[in-house]
Amino acid sequence: MMPRRHFLQQFGMGLGAIALGDMLNPVSANAASADAVLQTLHHAPKAQRVIYLFQSGAPSQMDLFDYKPLLNEKHGEQLPDSVRGQQRLTGMSGNQSSLPLVGSPFKFAQHGESGLWMSDLLPHTSKVADELCVIHSMYTEAINHGPGVTHVQTGSQFPGRPSIGAWLSYGLGSENADLPAFIVMTTRDKKGQPLVSRYWGNGFLPARHQGVQFRSGGDPVLYLQNPAGISSDTRRGMLQALNRLHEIEKQETLDPQINTRIAQYEMAFRMQTSIPEATDLSSEPEHIFELYGEQAREPGTFAANCLQARRLAERGVRFIQLYHPGWDHHGGLPGGLKRQCQETDQASAALITDLKQRGLLDDTLVIWGGEFGRTNYCQGKLTANSFGRDHHPRCFSLWMAGGGVKGGMSYGQTDPYCYNIVEKPVHIHDFQATLLHLLGIDHERLTYRYQGRAFRLTDVHGHVVEDILA
Amino acid sequence: MSNSRSHFRLASPTATLLAAVILLSQPFAAAAAGVDFNEQIRPILSDKCFFCHGPDPETREADLRLDVRQDAIDYLAIVPGEPDESELIRRIEETDPELKMPPPHSKRSISPEEIALLKQWIAEEAPYQQHWSFNRLEPTDVPTQADSKWPTGEIDQFVLKRMREKGLEPSEPAQKAALLRRVTFDLTGLPPTLEELDAFLADESANAYEKVVDRLLASPAYGERMTAEWLDVARYSDTYGYQVDRDRYVWPWRDWVIRAFNANKPYDEFVTEQVAGDLLPNATDDQILATTFNRLHPQKVEGGSVPEEFRVEYVSDRTQTVATAFLGLTLECARCHTHKYDPLTQTEYYQLSSFFDNIDEAGLYSYFTNAVPTPNLLLASKEQKASMSSLRDRIAQHERELAALEQQTPAGFQHWWDNARPLKPEPVVLKESTSALKAEPELVPGRIAHLDFEEWKNDKNVAVPGVKGQAIKLTGDDAVNLEVGNFRRFQPFSVALWLQTPDMKERAVIYHRSRAWTDAASRGYELLIEDGRLAASLIHFWPGNALSVKTKEPIPTGEWLHVAVTYDGSIEAAGLQIWINGQPAELDIVRDELTKNITGGGGDNIAIGERFRDRGFKNGMVDEFQVFERELTSLEVRQLHDGSSLANLLQQPLESLSTENRQLIEQYYRSNFSDAWQTKQTELQQARQKLCDLVDPIPEIMVMRENTEPHQTYLLQRGVYDAKGDAVESAVPAALHPFPQEAPANRLGLARWLMSRDNPLTARVTVNRYWQMLFGQGIVRTPEDFGSQGAVPSHPQLLDWLALDFMNHGWDLKRLMKQIVMSSTYRQTSRVTADDLAKDPENIWLARYPAHRLPAEMLRDNALAVSGLLVDKIGGEPVKPYELEDSFKPTPRSKGEGLYRRSLYTYWKRTSPAPAMTTFDAAKRDVCQLKRDKTSSPLQAFIMLNGPQYVEAARGLAERTLKEHPEDVTAGIEHMFRLLTAREPSPQERKVLEELHALNTDHFAANPEAATAYLDVGDKDFDKTLTPSQLAAMSVVASTLLNYDECMMQR
Repeated sequence: MMPRRHFLQQFGMGLGAIALGDMLNPVSANAASADAVLQTLHHAPKAQRVIYLFQSGAPSQMDLFDYKPLLNEKHGEQLPDSVRGQQRLTGMSGNQSSLPLVGSPFKFAQHGESGLWMSDLLPHTSKVADELCVIHSMYTEAINHGPGVTHVQTGSQFPGRPSIGAWLSYGLGSENADLPAFIVMTTRDKKGQPLVSRYWGNGFLPARHQGVQFRSGGDPVLYLQNPAGISSDTRRGMLQALNRLHEIEKQETLDPQINTRIAQYEMAFRMQTSIPEATDLSSEPEHIFELYGEQAREPGTFAANCLQARRLAERGVRFIQLYHPGWDHHGGLPGGLKRQCQETDQASAALITDLKQRGLLDDTLVIWGGEFGRTNYCQGKLTANSFGRDHHPRCFSLWMAGGGVKGGMSYGQTDPYCYNIVEKPVHIHDFQATLLHLLGIDHERLTYRYQGRAFRLTDVHGHVVEDILA
Repeated sequence: MSNSRSHFRLASPTATLLAAVILLSQPFAAAAAGVDFNEQIRPILSDKCFFCHGPDPETREADLRLDVRQDAIDYLAIVPGEPDESELIRRIEETDPELKMPPPHSKRSISPEEIALLKQWIAEEAPYQQHWSFNRLEPTDVPTQADSKWPTGEIDQFVLKRMREKGLEPSEPAQKAALLRRVTFDLTGLPPTLEELDAFLADESANAYEKVVDRLLASPAYGERMTAEWLDVARYSDTYGYQVDRDRYVWPWRDWVIRAFNANKPYDEFVTEQVAGDLLPNATDDQILATTFNRLHPQKVEGGSVPEEFRVEYVSDRTQTVATAFLGLTLECARCHTHKYDPLTQTEYYQLSSFFDNIDEAGLYSYFTNAVPTPNLLLASKEQKASMSSLRDRIAQHERELAALEQQTPAGFQHWWDNARPLKPEPVVLKESTSALKAEPELVPGRIAHLDFEEWKNDKNVAVPGVKGQAIKLTGDDAVNLEVGNFRRFQPFSVALWLQTPDMKERAVIYHRSRAWTDAASRGYELLIEDGRLAASLIHFWPGNALSVKTKEPIPTGEWLHVAVTYDGSIEAAGLQIWINGQPAELDIVRDELTKNITGGGGDNIAIGERFRDRGFKNGMVDEFQVFERELTSLEVRQLHDGSSLANLLQQPLESLSTENRQLIEQYYRSNFSDAWQTKQTELQQARQKLCDLVDPIPEIMVMRENTEPHQTYLLQRGVYDAKGDAVESAVPAALHPFPQEAPANRLGLARWLMSRDNPLTARVTVNRYWQMLFGQGIVRTPEDFGSQGAVPSHPQLLDWLALDFMNHGWDLKRLMKQIVMSSTYRQTSRVTADDLAKDPENIWLARYPAHRLPAEMLRDNALAVSGLLVDKIGGEPVKPYELEDSFKPTPRSKGEGLYRRSLYTYWKRTSPAPAMTTFDAAKRDVCQLKRDKTSSPLQAFIMLNGPQYVEAARGLAERTLKEHPEDVTAGIEHMFRLLTAREPSPQERKVLEELHALNTDHFAANPEAATAYLDVGDKDFDKTLTPSQLAAMSVVASTLLNYDECMMQR
């Protein structure tokens, strides 16, 4: 693989030059496409692509997936010091005079043949329980959103490292030469902790690996559309003239970089068609909107983005990431959490169902989860109808489906207080290692030399969680 | 400094070993005959072996280190002259996976070529060399190629020698036009004008080119171009970064940089002022402003964050930035453990960071206020400084006069005593009489609030028996709010209360006027218990801009105390007093610098017992809470405590009073009843108010200022902020040159050390960066890493010669730039032959000029320049061109000229950087970055073809062209072509463009709405005197040319 990369560097060729060769065959049969640094995978992949439904702000695990009746029994009692141990608290509740435990006000039940526990906030997700592998024993070090999300997405709490999608773009390239390998969509008009573009940044990897944010409404990609007054024909005429100039220049200078330039413009022209086609939901039939919910008709909703994600998965986009903010329930959790679930539950489940009915779930890994968990104790005032939960790094729940993970599985266990992990902890580096593993990558061998050192997504940590592999 | 340093050397076995390595390896430095250790062997050992057998003892396996020759020999890993006897070779060639090195699980492997090299090297006695970049810069002989007329100067001699060793010969000189375009972009970031082009083409004098170079170096655009690159190094951003990412005011520093480059400030001064300008003798404001460099790292405000975690991060960022920018060292590796590849220990990391760990800063900036994080510099104009100075004089005068008044028995005292004393003698016993308190306002005037809790309706805080009647017991989570207390810092005021704490509080808020603790940087004033002691403060931004005093002794628990805090409005800690049970408490002054307002940020009134995200006065009791809008006198405080001191004195015959009591009563009189004193006090207060009103709106900028008491730095285990290891003192890594003996042990000393003649790194790193700026690649292709994992220099002797020459000529940057652009190497054509391309595809040996894409700034500035839209104005606040409306966090675009300024002025928001610039590989500016990628992606084409900036610029170019060549399309096309490429189009090229023009003329004539729609793009109106279809057609040609490779490339 090195000689190939070496060759690319020598001739200064990027995505464009190579993609040119792929244009006849936009969806390549191999997992590793021509612009990938990994020309052979480290082992046979289970997943070809990932859809990561990131729930930004940290959903409350004990109100959704991690059933803890003890908290209802001890509702209002103080968090015992023996449970808390040395855990540092955030500056938001760390100075509170009391830390009363809060039981979940939501009803839990077991679902599917697997009997996974879920609360009644998830009526749709619970119907696909047998497809899900719910990890209850996720943990991290970060206690605040910025470092927390950065940690999950880049393997480090501090800015500067490439995100998961950027690593995959670098390692595996795109399955479809006419679409970016890494596409990000955020739910529109959501309040809550702000998202920052670093979460899908390329870090020190070349800029072409950064996530391309598809925006809702207007151009999905910056300046994708021709300016007013410039028709497709006018544009084609310009590009033809440009191409002729470049051919002349190539004869003159013998510089192979000009091939890159030519390919760059040809591909741009193709993307002007392929991106609008991929993002146009108007051809979706009525029953699909019923499946995803009415919100899917409204651009920029989580539901519309889920449907969009399925279309992009069909077209071979390697890493599709949705961001849905608003889970940061420091106060008013009962109402707030319910609204969040109303926005996400149906579409998340629909995506699983839809991928499955298209035969895509087998090689598409779907992930749902946030950056850390929430506390079992109340932040602020505990009243009869309302309460809040602060950030909690020691345990949180996340689910995966399809793409080589076992369905209907509950993995790892927290203590009855939902404060500490008692069994099979999964650090976010383990999660990242497992994700890469499913795509055929050894997380220790996908590296990039920067500032004198070989960097990787999992830093110097991470173990594949073998037990959840199908 | 020298003490701690030598102590360290003795104490640290690692450092001693390292010193030994260097000494040991010296004799072999020149011995390399065949295989070159630094060029060929060290990279293999470093990459494949040092991780487990290198400098870091923590990860060393089998007690073997291969970075020290003698160790490797003692271990028999290397037997000089006997490759087959050497364990190193045996293990590498081993097939048993249990024994093979590197072990398979390490996922490192050594190629057969590398093994052959290692064997040859051992056969040649395995000479080691000190890593090349740590060698002191010594004079280098300039090679001469007597047979060649090609070299213009020394640079070319070095380059030609290397080229010939590789079987290459120089290329032809570039065409004059291409050369002018090249050098104009390189030195100013802008294209040449047609006038400049014509003048140069017409100038046949021998020094025509040199005249151009001198003109460009003298143009103000030079400073802008150099600054654009420096902003990446300095991780400059107009916002704080992290997540909330508010705007911040740092652009005056950017303008300082432009001025410095244009004035050709010697690079050693340029660096010294940025690292330590504040410590220079009699530092000017400008020199202090330079140190903003150290504060440009991202800063945090996110609620609930641990301030110390981020403060530590800032210190690390400053340290690493200096290490990367000036030393080319990847120091951050040593933050968590001793460096795996380079001779840098973890202790040394923290010793170096200690230089940057001595300012009074907060880990979080203020969410609820717009205070500038401390320390900072007031950017006052000359006029403002003069007014401030005269106001200060006036205040001092008033203070002297007031003090003089206080030396004498006040006029009218006797009359007052005889006729107007406020209380007829009636002894008051507080605990028995309630009427006494009702009378007290007469005795102690100026009271604006009083809570006695007698009528308290229980909420969470409950009424309990108090000193007098009821008191209140606080939960710590629920405040008791007053409706007064929004004092300004020049206003005297006092607060008195009874309190009882149930236990020794580490921290508790008794009362405060503020919106929050860290989230507001405590803006306002407060009384806290800290480590059992009472602490009173007036705060603009904690900790760097505040008055704060603290009792020396902890207060007793479980008993009622009367506490008063009085403040005289002097804006000095000496004017802030805490009284306990009527007596002034012995105090430590914690902070004594308050220069800005203590109001604002919300939380305008006093609240008792609780504060947002702070620790409340849990189970504490408070009674008789009173607020006064004046500074109480000693007698009054006593009276509030015991209910009798003042009242009793007032009953005595005047003659019977002791001297002390007489003075106290005179003080009481003065403060409350003396017209003379009160008039003077009012004048003083008014003068102070004038000064405050003048200063408060003047902007401040973050800079460096040393703490008066040094802050102790600790080694942090695993780099974790709260895992403190040993205390460390400021020192520099032992493997580098020694700290200058006469230099102070602070940042200024560090700057002297950096710019020392003995420093092997800074000059090399610097000339390499500027070489990279002009050639697209450095002589060392990893400009940020001159360590053993970095690239080896392609022209080591040239690098050394240039570096030493740079130092020997006073770090003269313009001279360096001129030296390089005057070289024949730089002036070659970029055209390449198939043969040369095959021999040197990456153009390492520079037998041709290395073509490269223009950086993001130049692409846009070029479009603005050729269109005539560029607004030629230097400096000022950042501007928001079109692209920011389409950024991740959209912000409205500027109106008018802000759309057309050079790109270095584009507003930089870390969480949402200018999207067109980042698509063209602009640095994110989160951390110091010395090199950008030069990628090519279809997303770039969308920006150049469809972005309103470029569409409008294309139209501007077409308008200009049509006005100059209204009738002649061919001439117009040639005009545009020359503006964008500096050359004439070939007939073939002209034909392509003419056809494109013709096609579009017809199209737009038939579709006039399309023409006007296209011409309406952008804020600037199109020229209505021109025919829309013709203008649109010419604009399409212009737009096509802007996307033409030759226009986007530096060739």
